[in-house]
Amino acid sequence: MRNFLKQASAGAMLAGLVLALSALLPSMASAQTVDQIISRGKLLVAIDTTTPPYGFLDANLKPTGFDIEVAYKMGEALGVPVEFVTVTSPGRIPALLTKQVDAVISIFSITPARAIQIDYSIPYAGQSAVVIAPKSTAIKGVADLVGKKVGLTRGTGEDGLLTAAAAANPGIEILRFDDYSSLLQAMVSGQIDAMGGGDYGEIYLKKARSGDAFEQKYILKTFYFGIGVAKGNENLRQWVNTWLFTMKTDGILEQLSMKYRNQPLPPLPVF
Amino acid sequence: MQTALQFGPILVHLDRLLLGLVKTIQLAALSILFGTAIGLLGAVGRSFGPRWLAWPIATYVELIRNTPLLIQLYFVFFSLPLFGFKLSSNTAAIVALSIHLGAYATEILRAGIQSIPAGQIEAAKSLGLGRYRIIRHVVLVPAARAVYPSLSAQFILQIMGTSIVGAIAAEELTAIANNLVMQTFRSFEVFIIIALIYFVLVQAASLSFAGIGKLMFRWKV
Repeated sequence: MRNFLKQASAGAMLAGLVLALSALLPSMASAQTVDQIISRGKLLVAIDTTTPPYGFLDANLKPTGFDIEVAYKMGEALGVPVEFVTVTSPGRIPALLTKQVDAVISIFSITPARAIQIDYSIPYAGQSAVVIAPKSTAIKGVADLVGKKVGLTRGTGEDGLLTAAAAANPGIEILRFDDYSSLLQAMVSGQIDAMGGGDYGEIYLKKARSGDAFEQKYILKTFYFGIGVAKGNENLRQWVNTWLFTMKTDGILEQLSMKYRNQPLPPLPVF
Repeated sequence: MQTALQFGPILVHLDRLLLGLVKTIQLAALSILFGTAIGLLGAVGRSFGPRWLAWPIATYVELIRNTPLLIQLYFVFFSLPLFGFKLSSNTAAIVALSIHLGAYATEILRAGIQSIPAGQIEAAKSLGLGRYRIIRHVVLVPAARAVYPSLSAQFILQIMGTSIVGAIAAEELTAIANNLVMQTFRSFEVFIIIALIYFVLVQAASLSFAGIGKLMFRWKV
């Protein structure tokens, strides 16, 4: 009898585990329409607070930055408060797949591979991925990276570009960091010779070290950032596109760019 | 909307995951080796060494046991270069992991040493055994046997601890899995697979530690 009870409880635990696991699977939750978000009374947005100047923590440890302000403006336009869910760049797609958030606003470059799993709005910002290195290092192009340690953030656009460059030019050692602040740390402490990052990166390196020891070496590619929504959530995506259109025509995106990036936005194509 | 699990796109990269597994085993094995050596020196130093040696060891143990492993990794990788010690990612990971385990092993082995009754040492002295032989045969071996289960539990934690060293760009199973996630965007599948790999690795390690324990401490008390 006792054995039977033991077995039964073990079986029940296993069944519970399977249930809990299946609850984690994406198909169980459903995407929120604009109406549902408004009636719920809050907008859930995934952000990354380690990607200055788009998302970072201010002196009071509150999230701020270009993406954060875009998120607040989205909440304002919907008439609901915004609730942030902090993710790292590898966590952005899972956050949408598991329906933890309604939207991802976190330097989310538009790529066809990602668009297989999630849907993108039209771009609301864009920037170039560049190679940054100390001024004393002579780097003109990819050939000069051979024999050097090049740092980047795992899973970013730079990762794809520089990984391909390293495959074509043997001798480039790639070091992948989990977040942007670790990457900057590695650059400042000299653990890497060069880094792939956004065109704003040198601003932060200049802050980290006295003088301006770092500079932009060359442009890898220009990326366009979209707002990510769950795959097939056309209702929300159509609203986001309409709202972004007005954000552009009202000049608000341009203002935000000057405020956080110190430079105007590149022309933003639509699809 | 449904996202079905697809393992195919991951399994073609199984060779990369297995390479990651090898790196994880290397990190764990080397850091367990060095960490245990540090722990042995620390425990013997604190229990039998001169008085001036006791407090630096105590400070080391407290410093490490009261700070997160991640911060220790950051310190070795990002801060030491400012003092002129530049270690590569994987070397920095081994150093940090060894120092980390060393502190715990020191305390575990010290607890074993303290569990040896004073009478046992007095008996050895009265039999005319020298100091070295007393420490080695009368204290350390029985002490190690007494704390071997806690020590192997700590080793298991150490194996799993290697999964965070990707934070300093070191290569191991979790870091390579994260690369794969970013490449295939199939996070669930990748994490299910590496969870299985870790499970098999840790089970194999537990069984080996138990086997080694049986071989090393064969006699009965």
